[in-house]
Amino acid sequence: MTEPFEPKITAFVCNWCTYAGADLTGTSRIKYQSNVRVLRLPCTGRIDFMLLAKAFARGSDGVIVSGCHPNDCHYTSGNYHARRRWMIYRDLMDFMGIDTRRVTFSWVSAAEGARWAELVNEVTTSVRELGPYTEYKELALTGVE
Amino acid sequence: MDLREKSRQLLENGDVKAVIGYERGTMGARRPAFIRKAERADRLVFDEACAQNLATYLTRPEVRKLGRVAVAARPDTLRAILQLMAERQVKEENVLALAGDGTVELGTAQAIEEHLATCAKELPARDREILDRLSRMDRAQRWAFWQAELSRCVKCYACRNSCPMCYCGHCTMDCNRPQWVPVASHALGNLEYHMVRAMHLAGRCVECGDCGRACPVGIPIHLLTFNCEESVHLQFGQRAGASSKLDYALSTFRPDDKESFIR
Amino acid sequence: MSRIGVFTCHCGENIGATVDCAKVAERTRNVPGVVHSVDYKYMCSDPGQSMIKEAIKEHGLTGVVVAACSPRMHEPTFRNAVEEAGLNPYLCEMANLREHCSWVHEKNDATTDKAADLIRVMVEKVKHNTPLHPIRVPVTKRALVLGGGIAGIQAALDIANAGHKVVLVEKSPSIGGHMSQLSETFPTLDCSQCILTPRMVEAARHPNITLMTYAELEKLEGFIGNFKATIRRKARQVDEKLCTGCGLCITKCPNKKIPDEFNEGLGKRSAIYVPFPQAVPNKPVIDKTNCTFYKSGKCKVCEKMCPTGAIRFDQQDELVTLDVGAIVLATGFKVMRTDKFPEYGYGKYADVIDGLQFERLASASGPTLGVMKRPSDGKEPETVVFVACSGSRDRAKGVPYCSKICCMYTAKHAMLYKHKMHHGKAYVFYMDIRSGGKDYDEFVRRAIEEDDVKYIRGRVSRIYEEDGQLIVKGADTLMGGEPVEIKADMVVLATAVQAQDGSEELAQKLHVSYDPYHFFAESHPKLKPVETNTAGIYLAGACQAPRDIPETVAQASGAAAKVAALFSRDELTREPVVAVVNRLPAPTFSYCVGCFLCQSACPYQAIEAEEIRGRDGTLIKTLAKVNAGLCQGCGTCVSTCRTKAIDIQGFSNEQIFAELMTL
Ligand SMILES: Cc1cc2nc3c(=O)[nH]c(=O)nc-3n(C[C@H](O)[C@H](O)[C@H](O)COP(=O)(O)OP(=O)(O)OC[C@H]3O[C@@H](n4cnc5c(N)ncnc54)[C@H](O)[C@@H]3O)c2cc1C
Ligand code: SF4
Ligand code: SF4
Ligand code: SF4
Ligand code: SF4
Repeated sequence: MTEPFEPKITAFVCNWCTYAGADLTGTSRIKYQSNVRVLRLPCTGRIDFMLLAKAFARGSDGVIVSGCHPNDCHYTSGNYHARRRWMIYRDLMDFMGIDTRRVTFSWVSAAEGARWAELVNEVTTSVRELGPYTEYKELALTGVE
Repeated sequence: MDLREKSRQLLENGDVKAVIGYERGTMGARRPAFIRKAERADRLVFDEACAQNLATYLTRPEVRKLGRVAVAARPDTLRAILQLMAERQVKEENVLALAGDGTVELGTAQAIEEHLATCAKELPARDREILDRLSRMDRAQRWAFWQAELSRCVKCYACRNSCPMCYCGHCTMDCNRPQWVPVASHALGNLEYHMVRAMHLAGRCVECGDCGRACPVGIPIHLLTFNCEESVHLQFGQRAGASSKLDYALSTFRPDDKESFIR
Repeated sequence: MSRIGVFTCHCGENIGATVDCAKVAERTRNVPGVVHSVDYKYMCSDPGQSMIKEAIKEHGLTGVVVAACSPRMHEPTFRNAVEEAGLNPYLCEMANLREHCSWVHEKNDATTDKAADLIRVMVEKVKHNTPLHPIRVPVTKRALVLGGGIAGIQAALDIANAGHKVVLVEKSPSIGGHMSQLSETFPTLDCSQCILTPRMVEAARHPNITLMTYAELEKLEGFIGNFKATIRRKARQVDEKLCTGCGLCITKCPNKKIPDEFNEGLGKRSAIYVPFPQAVPNKPVIDKTNCTFYKSGKCKVCEKMCPTGAIRFDQQDELVTLDVGAIVLATGFKVMRTDKFPEYGYGKYADVIDGLQFERLASASGPTLGVMKRPSDGKEPETVVFVACSGSRDRAKGVPYCSKICCMYTAKHAMLYKHKMHHGKAYVFYMDIRSGGKDYDEFVRRAIEEDDVKYIRGRVSRIYEEDGQLIVKGADTLMGGEPVEIKADMVVLATAVQAQDGSEELAQKLHVSYDPYHFFAESHPKLKPVETNTAGIYLAGACQAPRDIPETVAQASGAAAKVAALFSRDELTREPVVAVVNRLPAPTFSYCVGCFLCQSACPYQAIEAEEIRGRDGTLIKTLAKVNAGLCQGCGTCVSTCRTKAIDIQGFSNEQIFAELMTL
């Protein structure tokens, strides 16, 4: 009997909004699915596109990138820079045939504990439906290294 | 008057230390020529077959050391010169662009900007054809297309070496702490290399196509950087190489930048 | 080789009941580099912390991971403990097993697996941590207080009395804020002006306080201890130094029909005016939009009248820059206006007024000199209806929160009315009576029991005019929702307290956060109520949330204490989470190619150029260099740099990469 597929979800979040928002989810005891692993960075501005690429290379089936809403960046504009970077990177991923449904960009503030739970649940469920990201995982297996 | 005569004059008068231009190579091809003495200027040719972007040489240490040099400049070359000025890699007083038929002296950033305003830019037919084909594909087909193309990459870095904007002394690819991208030529490493390169050229690529021309196995690798440049243009309304003032699309922003995918 | 110690906390039942902590500790023992892994009931307790300290010594640990609650909670606690054991505090990291795991997931194997993963991630990170040392920056011992209401006045006085310089910036022509408009104040019914005016004068006279009224913050740069504020001093058209405040200009100004802001539109003022008789400073300003001279080019009566020649029609706004070390935000609140209530006539009915207008009617110095006269015809209102929660606790009005002060001031208003008109009838419609506070409930009871104010529990659904009277329709929910209709002469809406206009822009200028209703956000709702998320900027009064005067004053003194504590040192130490550009031996010097793309990405202008010169002085290379005093550690530059020359301490490429690669 095969086990049902459990996706691996990696989340890159900023310290001040989404990480704090996820803390609030905890303090409010709102339950969500446990597939996600959160990496804390100071700001969305710090989230190098390569981190997303490496997350897939490490076998993530889905990636969440989240930070402060526009205007609310702790560092005032890190998220605006990040937004531009994602606008370009997402186009490039699509052009190269990478499945953009597997990357979710979002804004979750420190006050949006419930929203974080919702987001994680939605992403986990939709990626579970998409199935494992075999295409990308195979890349790491082919070739010389 | 033509490029040869102009170069001779410039060298004789000591206006420039060298002229970077093109000479005949094998089988009707053109190759770069570095002319330092006036009497060698008659080797120069400047015609339709001269495709390479000579701005690439301006950031080479040997060239930098020379002081002021003249460059036979096609429009892409001019754009690259401006972008290099914006990124503080080339000093305005150290370049004299020889544009048009090779006799139009453009000695300042402003002159280059004004000249460029008169040049139209169009995509070569072959690139158009591939892009049209890609645009008709679905995601899985695009993935298959690029995987097939990239599987041929031997990581010779000819694309990087030919690119006027790939002047970094220490490329992300050379990083080993951490080793962002696996070194060997291998499916994941190849994808990541070209992804890094495209992203690093977004907002900086002057769309000369040299990287694609340089590729020994014929991968249309320039289309990746073109794509990033196009999405910069469409979303932020700007293009690289338009000015010698830094206006890097990815280090500026507008609070009302519009996207449709952030939740 | 790394020697990492991992300490897994049960947090009593909080983690322990959901995550199998013993199993997690056991599994962690097998992670390469981990030499010590234990679990314990309460890691943050004294015995827990001692456990860590002893283990550091006993096992010669080179790094510590505490798997417990959120690092936003206890990171400083454990970093201190680690430091006490002689290890650099930045070699300690926390894995968040509580907020991000046990509290949000069910008790099962997957949750325990996740806990183990979260620990492994932090173990990998800590292996790449390097010892860091706090950054020292000098402190400019001068404070900037924005807003001259009671909050700003109190904060300024406290800081000044602690011996430090303060600049108090007020947007309007006088300090005093809303408190200067109030008649009497709950719960003691002492006259507001009488208790406020001495404070205003004291602030103006204090040798340590510089008052800048009719001024606003234009721009703010810098960081804690080292802010550079640009203040726009708006042109008063009056030379403050020459003006003696005699007021001749005001009496002679021909243009006297301008609705008076201080009296909430219930009175009139001239084009050159002081907002109220006790204003500080008592120097007039010319209202340029209404001044006849600015409108038609003719008049200048005031100029002719002024005995000291202080009128300046050509005066321009002036920009002043100030170096300040700390900022107190005290910009106060506004009340919702009656025109936001279609059900109560959109502000059409002159006799439907808001609470502040009632304060002016009741004030002995107000437009009616304290005699109860309704605005429409000056008639003494025989029946007055007070409507509490007008707009507050009403999602449809965008104000789901409780405005907190209205229950109290409504009781006060009804009382003041009854004191002035013994035979009059006062009704209060309310949802609940919220009168927590010292002597507050007693105050409300007094209104009901001694002053015979009729309290009706229920909402007012509609107010309309009929034969010169206002018909108030509502329901009495204590009588089973029975409809109530009252014919009133005047209705007072206790409208919602809202964030001051322009709060959002101001917050953005200051880089502080704000809540969904644009009140400024405190750093922690319980433990850091006067701090903002931006170091060196503090909050006082109603700009943070609806507040009454006692709370406002207490918070203002709290903010002042924070400023005084900051100013008690000459130097400040800051978190070393900052960017650095790598440096290498010649001839490379650095991987940086000097493209300066990072410079334009930095939100804090923290990146400078450094020239590397040879012995003979020739320029070899120009490199980026981070000013550690300005850098806030966002890391935007790091993602911009193609050569990976710039990196951020504490969240370095190596650290994050290692974390990711273990997942
Ligand atoms: C109708 C009514 C009755 C009340 N009755 C009582 C009572 O009886 N007892 C009681 O305890 N409380 C009462 N209150 C509450 C009391 O008014 C507040 O608690 C108090 O005014 C809050 O003081 P503050 O300094 O925080 O804000 P404010 O009084 O609003 O002062 C803020 C000041 O900042 C200035 N400002 C605004 N923006 C800027 C800017 N960008 N730059 C510079 N300056 C700026 C404003 O002009 C103002 O002077 C009442 C409130 C209302 C509405
Ligand atoms: S087309 Fe290729 S070679 Fe030319 S600038 Fe762009 S990336 Fe560089
Ligand atoms: S030139 Fe072609 S083969 Fe060489 S690295 Fe670039 S894409 Fe690969
Ligand atoms: S640190 Fe990087 S981005 Fe900044 S100037 Fe140097 S190479 Fe350019
Ligand atoms: S981390 Fe970089 S971008 Fe952010 S404040 Fe520091 S220098 Fe500026």
